[in-house]
Amino acid sequence: MIDALFNQTNYLAAKRMLDAVALRHQAIAANLANLETPGYQRVDLAPSFQQELQRAIAAGDPARLKQLQPALAPDPTALPNGRDGNTVNLEQELLELNQNALVHAFQTQLITGRLLRLKLAITGRPV
Amino acid sequence: MVEILSGIQTTASALTAERTRLDVIAENIANAQTTRGPDGGPYKRRVVVFETVLQHALGRTTPGGASATVRVARIQTDPRPPLLVYRPGHPDADANGMVALPNINVHEEMADLIAASRAFEANLAVVKNARAMALQTLAIGKR
Repeated sequence: MIDALFNQTNYLAAKRMLDAVALRHQAIAANLANLETPGYQRVDLAPSFQQELQRAIAAGDPARLKQLQPALAPDPTALPNGRDGNTVNLEQELLELNQNALVHAFQTQLITGRLLRLKLAITGRPV
Repeated sequence: MVEILSGIQTTASALTAERTRLDVIAENIANAQTTRGPDGGPYKRRVVVFETVLQHALGRTTPGGASATVRVARIQTDPRPPLLVYRPGHPDADANGMVALPNINVHEEMADLIAASRAFEANLAVVKNARAMALQTLAIGKR
């Protein structure tokens, strides 16, 4: 019965997004680590994840949201910026890094807000 | 094992690799005038070559090579010939008074040095962000 509290699509979607943000951070870490590796292809979240997530939210299906796993894939749109074939751009990656940190803050606050409201509903007093 | 700071392995490897690069640049600058290198001739400029290592540990093989760490593949010598300078008074001068100096352009090394330290800083920024994110995650459910 208590499961129902944590099975709402908004909450599940926020959880999945948090997973995606953590994975994306790994991708950016890998990209910045390989800033000067010849021939390195930058990686990012697979675009299919975002589409799947949107579809699952639109369908309002908790089971589908639970199965969703973010994955990384080489970014085919990134262009090499030198003759060594490396497709990482320092400024771009640092921007993405900061943006990702903000998204993470947003998602954690969303989840925290939800948990606190739940607590309020149970105890009847603000925590 | 779960990584609390995501991507920390990758960043650590990059910091090590960049430090090696800084060491090699320091070595090049220090030996810019060395006429007696380890093989008897003038010192030869060294260059680091980086390569990606895919982490298939943790049983988590994410497609596209997630958490790809970096390492120094090899330190190779610059094939450019030594610089010949006319210095008849030099002990290492040949019969024509020419001395073979290492072909090191200090300006080039300085530019490389700056690039390496910027790359180092970029990786430190990743750790800082990872730390902030981990602290936020730990604060979930607290106000």
